[in-house]
Amino acid sequence: MMGHWIIAPVVLPVIMGGLIVLAMRHDLLLQRVFSVAATVGLLAISGALLYAASTEPPEVYFLGDWPAPFGIVLVLDRLAAIMLTLTALLALIVQLYAIGTGWDARGRHFHALFQFQLMGLSGAYLTGDAFNLFVFFEVLLIASYGLMIHGGGKARLRAGVQYIAFNLVGSTLFLFALATIYSVTGTLNMADIAQKLLTLPEGDAALLRVGAVLLMLVFAIKGALVPLQFWLPATYAFAPGPVAALFAIMTKVGAYAVIRTGTLIFPPTTPATGTLIADLLAPAALVTLALGAIGVLGATTLARQAAFAAIASMGTLFIAVAPFTPQGTTAALYYLLHSTLGGALLFLVVDLVADRRGSDSTLKALPPIANQGLLAALFFAAAIAMAGMPPISGFLGKLLVMDATRGPGMALIWTTILLASFVTILGFARAGSTVFWKSHETQPEDPPRHMGEPLAWTAVCALLAGLVLLTIFAGPVTDYLSATSFELYDRAAYISAVLARAGE
Amino acid sequence: MSLALIAALPFLGALLPGLMIRAGKNACALAAASATTLALILLGLNAPAVFRGEVIQTRIEWLPQLGLNANFFLDGLGFLFTGLILGIGLLIILYARFYLAKSDPMGQFYTYLMLFQGAMVGIVLSDNVLLLLVFWELTSLSSFLLIGYWKHLPEGRQGARMALTVTGAGGLAMIAGMLILGQIAGSYDLSVILTQKEAIQASDWYLPALILILIGAFTKSAQFPFHFWLPHAMAAPTPVSAYLHSATMVKAGLFLMARMWPVLAGTEAWFLIVSTTGLITMIIGAKIAFFKDDLKALLAFSTVSHLGLITMLLGFGTEEAAVVAIFHIINHATFKAALFMSAGIVDHEAHTRDIRRLGGLRTLMPLTFTIVTVAALSMAGIPPLNGFLSKEMMLEEAVHTVWWSSPWLLPALATIGALFSVAYSFRLIAHVFLGPVRDDYPAKPHDPGFGLWAAPAFLAVLVVLIGVLPMPMVGDLVKVTASAVTGEAAYVKIYHWHGFVPALFLSLTAVGGGFVMLGLYRPLARLWDRAPRPEAKAIFDGLMEPFAERSRRVTEALHDGALTRYFAIATVTIVAAAAFAFWGAPYAPGLRAMTPVAAVPLIGWTLLVGATIALFLYHRNRLLALVLVGIIGLMVSVGFVYLSAPDLALTQISVEVATVILLLLALNFLPKRSANLSTPARRTRDAVIAGVTGLGVGALIYALMLRDFAFPTIADYHLANAKSGGGGTNVVNVILVDFRGYDTFGEITVLGIAALVIFALTEALLRAGPANDRLTGWIPDARRAGDRHPLMLVVATRMILPIALMVGVYIFLRGHNQPGGGFIAGLVVAIALVMQYMASGFAWTQARQKIDYHALIAAGVLIAAACGIGAWFNGMPFLTSAFGYVHLPPLEEFELATAAIFDLGVFLTVVGAVMLALASISRIAIRAGETVNVRPYEIEPGRPVKIEEA
Amino acid sequence: MELLVASAIGTMTACGIYLILRRTTFPVIVGLAMLSYAVNVFIFASGRLALAMPPIYDPATKGYTDPLTQALVLTAIVISFGMTAVIVMMALGAFLEHGSDRIDTDDDAPEDGA
Repeated sequence: MMGHWIIAPVVLPVIMGGLIVLAMRHDLLLQRVFSVAATVGLLAISGALLYAASTEPPEVYFLGDWPAPFGIVLVLDRLAAIMLTLTALLALIVQLYAIGTGWDARGRHFHALFQFQLMGLSGAYLTGDAFNLFVFFEVLLIASYGLMIHGGGKARLRAGVQYIAFNLVGSTLFLFALATIYSVTGTLNMADIAQKLLTLPEGDAALLRVGAVLLMLVFAIKGALVPLQFWLPATYAFAPGPVAALFAIMTKVGAYAVIRTGTLIFPPTTPATGTLIADLLAPAALVTLALGAIGVLGATTLARQAAFAAIASMGTLFIAVAPFTPQGTTAALYYLLHSTLGGALLFLVVDLVADRRGSDSTLKALPPIANQGLLAALFFAAAIAMAGMPPISGFLGKLLVMDATRGPGMALIWTTILLASFVTILGFARAGSTVFWKSHETQPEDPPRHMGEPLAWTAVCALLAGLVLLTIFAGPVTDYLSATSFELYDRAAYISAVLARAGE
Repeated sequence: MSLALIAALPFLGALLPGLMIRAGKNACALAAASATTLALILLGLNAPAVFRGEVIQTRIEWLPQLGLNANFFLDGLGFLFTGLILGIGLLIILYARFYLAKSDPMGQFYTYLMLFQGAMVGIVLSDNVLLLLVFWELTSLSSFLLIGYWKHLPEGRQGARMALTVTGAGGLAMIAGMLILGQIAGSYDLSVILTQKEAIQASDWYLPALILILIGAFTKSAQFPFHFWLPHAMAAPTPVSAYLHSATMVKAGLFLMARMWPVLAGTEAWFLIVSTTGLITMIIGAKIAFFKDDLKALLAFSTVSHLGLITMLLGFGTEEAAVVAIFHIINHATFKAALFMSAGIVDHEAHTRDIRRLGGLRTLMPLTFTIVTVAALSMAGIPPLNGFLSKEMMLEEAVHTVWWSSPWLLPALATIGALFSVAYSFRLIAHVFLGPVRDDYPAKPHDPGFGLWAAPAFLAVLVVLIGVLPMPMVGDLVKVTASAVTGEAAYVKIYHWHGFVPALFLSLTAVGGGFVMLGLYRPLARLWDRAPRPEAKAIFDGLMEPFAERSRRVTEALHDGALTRYFAIATVTIVAAAAFAFWGAPYAPGLRAMTPVAAVPLIGWTLLVGATIALFLYHRNRLLALVLVGIIGLMVSVGFVYLSAPDLALTQISVEVATVILLLLALNFLPKRSANLSTPARRTRDAVIAGVTGLGVGALIYALMLRDFAFPTIADYHLANAKSGGGGTNVVNVILVDFRGYDTFGEITVLGIAALVIFALTEALLRAGPANDRLTGWIPDARRAGDRHPLMLVVATRMILPIALMVGVYIFLRGHNQPGGGFIAGLVVAIALVMQYMASGFAWTQARQKIDYHALIAAGVLIAAACGIGAWFNGMPFLTSAFGYVHLPPLEEFELATAAIFDLGVFLTVVGAVMLALASISRIAIRAGETVNVRPYEIEPGRPVKIEEA
Repeated sequence: MELLVASAIGTMTACGIYLILRRTTFPVIVGLAMLSYAVNVFIFASGRLALAMPPIYDPATKGYTDPLTQALVLTAIVISFGMTAVIVMMALGAFLEHGSDRIDTDDDAPEDGA
């Protein structure tokens, strides 16, 4: 029984954010200390929740003590706990990096916005209410707007405007979808919707399917699924390095939402929707992977290359999600963990490189930079992680995904995945040899000064260590994940837990 | 366990050199060497068991859900290859220590080398095909690093990329093949797969699996048509070429074919594909080698040719052929590694590898000459050296093989291959070492120190020993290995004299022909130079570069930042998907009766739609557009009133005002008209997209409104429990602060964050930068109104303020029971203050009130949160409310609920947020030279402002 | 009545979509505002229409309109207000930094490039 702890991941950051704005907004050191402390706390709480979720069935927290479906509920299950922990871990690392590189000092309110961002993310994972999901999407989005333009600058601002505009359309779409679903089912609680859909009059099916598809499209925008991925490259490429690294989790929120709703509300067993979601998702995922890979090869700057690698990884992830089978979801979750850490690692390394080249990450040979050898090695590691090459977890993820997609369409899916990894390898090899090797032809007029930034290096190494651990302990991790996906596909436990008090 | 340790040792060893280099080059090399030696010893401990024909296994669970486990097993085949990899690896480490120049980073080199060694050992010890794949790809990666070791050499970088591309691609193909194989066999463990011959060869998936796996093997072993990457990999330092490209990596493909021999071999497909590929490779490689002038290139192509020979033998699918293949693998490893190292010595001493610039080194480098002669003669297949034995046996097998239904075709071609290999071997000796001593060597050649010649010399000795005493030297090894390959006890008998068999005459022909060709070298070479031939690199680049270029163009064209195109695509996608969903299932129209239409709403509707269409037409005139937006918003709120939603109406109208004010202030800086950047065609396209979307949305809501809820809505519960449970009669407000207070909590947080973002943005803009310059150099455009601060407005707003504040309080207090509430109250107050700013200017007002908006926002959010947490203390969940009633004249009775505290939080946040946003925008205005009045009621302030910006 | 509401929503949506397809920031912002009007009314209407049935609890009243959708709309309005404020400022900032209020960043593209 976690009791009030379930809401702690939301309350802790918002209070810390508030306090930072109220009392610490004039002193950076104060902000750093308390913000890091709060994130550490968040990580600890998430860890506890992760353990609790593994020992107990889904636990429900009735906000305002109103019974579901009339009030809003939070639901703690394995999936939510995993996402919380992953987010907190990534957040802590990114935060250390931002402090270590002084990124957080290049604008106002970095830490406050950071905390609010965490609040939004946690809220989105925990909520069991469709409209509340929208609200917390908005929280995490508006915080992300602030973080994205942190530090200002022409290119960043223009990219920011586009990022916001695109997501505003997404939010509007979200509302259309929710209203449609509500006006068919008369409820907003996800478990309640799921249950009602089982007995939905046939005449309502068509309208409900529209609502369902609109909802999935919203998540597809977040998950950068082709053809709704356009917002991502510029956003990630122009966002501050640490923010881009944090955004590695933002796309995963879309994936989370698809998995959550796709297993709880619209599983293939739902008469009204059937395989509708899967039919649309599968081809889109394949195209996403292909486009992302081509982007990695075709990108003109390291930052954009990293962004396209992120798109490709979302493609792979959704390929595993699309069949909506426990095995597929397990693979998807493993790949989610991997691609979050790997993507973040890539963005941080690129940021370090760009920073040393005078914030220029274009793919051309410049004179050698400080810590070139180390950075080259890290880039190599990040690249093979994102390309899904051994020995890093990406390869295991890729195998899991391929193994989970046996059966019809196998030939097409496998070919796409393998060709995509091939093209990705090509792209990274070209980029790496240009940026890190070719530069040895040129001689720097003055030997590059060595940079300290111990915190930043710690952060980068922590991410790498995370990937290594994910590889070594793939067995236990996968056990937890498959338990998670079986929990997801056995909706009864979740639904009954939520609607336990419906009678009141 | 020991097997896993053998595989792990090189990787552990890879960690050392990077550090030990700080203790000097010898320490560095020693660290690498000791790890290898240790592994060798461990291997030796297993030798007796292996030679007894046992199979040693180590099983470690890794990812059982996938069937990927760290299972290793050691049989004859694994033993032979592990021995080769570690043994030659040791020699290479020694050789490299003296080969590398001072400037070369030796630590890196040994790290990469050990990584590669570990990967190779992993391949040959794996008992799990997925694990094997892991190591397989690792060899591609580590060889990429080794080939590109000399980073400043473009050919090094390109060679590395080419090798990675080809072998990496092969590896990917192999992944698919192995997964299929595992699916057929029901397990990814080799020891299981190898027992499934019938099942596998019967399966429909056999051919795809075979082809995919062979692609992996052929790319790795540089078989035709993938042979072209190997010569370009020669840009690597010679130790790398000797290790990767003669002894080990290129043999990985052979190893795989040998490993899979029991289940894949023996079919027609296998025979045709493998033996043909091998034969072609053997001949082509030998031919090219003969004409190459670069020592290493010559050796590279001869390697290609010999690999082809071995592949062909494996392709035959007979046990005898397999035995020969194994034997030749051993022999080739010995003489070819020796030759590569010697070539490196020549290069190292004479500073050139170009045969045309060499010759006559016999007297200058006698030692090297001896080593090369022995090894080269063995390569040519001259008795009694080991190369002779295996070549003889190869020809023997060839004679007994019917190929493309012809008994003589294969022997003939094989002989041609042998003939060429004799020719280039002789040329190697003759053109480099024999002939007159020259005086134009780039450097004065002489024999190197012991460190360099020790390794090749040792191998040359092996060449002789194996040649003279084959059975004692390697008889058992070949036997146990061949048995492991074929799965049955192999019969091995190696001897020099077979009697006057066809093979003898064939090899005599080969040797004779070789001599002749050497004699005719010059005319032949001229012929060769004139003959057109495909240049591998050109073709490769011709394929890769356009592909990369096209990818770049596609990517850039798609993601060029044209947001409007993104929008168009997104809209079309959404509408299409929705339509697809709708028409995929039955739809029954609703049965709800239409609500009657009165005159009033009809007027409102006309105004609304009219304004909307006007906006569509005149959107480029921005002021007009704003006015129209205002009208639309007004009509919407009127509609809300009419449709019994008073709270909505209030909120809508107040938000409306705030938004318009904000837009007005912003518009101050933006151009007054939007440029028309679209062609008529595009405008039509957009209009169509917009129209269709509008129709769709309209139809959707129409269909929804006309049907009854399929189930009773949860709103009924809210209506029933608002008063009893929430303590308020205004159900909307009770929902906002109680039933769904959590939403509201998030909502005000959003508002607060928005203000923070705006503030941070302003800070960024006002820093030195283009924006700041643009602002400081701002020329305010022609005044529209006469006065900056019209007197009427000033007076009016000052009067309004207190009233507005009262209204705000009132709305706030009644909110829980009548339309109103914290949010609307907050907006009313905020707007009242905003009016002050607009009327009297920012600084004047700012100077008269000292509330810090940041604090206001934070306080609001924190109060709301505290109100929620408060519930914990009477054991209730977050945001559980409690309430009681208060009567406090002259106000009407109102109830004091914790919800009211929450509402207070809302109120504060709203005021703070709106004011902070406005304050920020005003600071921009001030930076742009906006003047302010210092005395109250000043109409025409002249002085530019001088106030510090908080 | 339903027809009026539906057509109004449709018109506003169409106008909004058309405006967000323009290439300068101001129309796009206005378009987004229009879209949020449209969706607010959409949500409201999704609770079905009711004339003269206040969502105020009163034992004597004859019926209620759906208060939930109203609450949802309120939340939506507030959020979209915050979002609009941010994007307005952001657009202003981008304009001040860059000097052009083009929203597309494919600056080298032809002026009329569609």
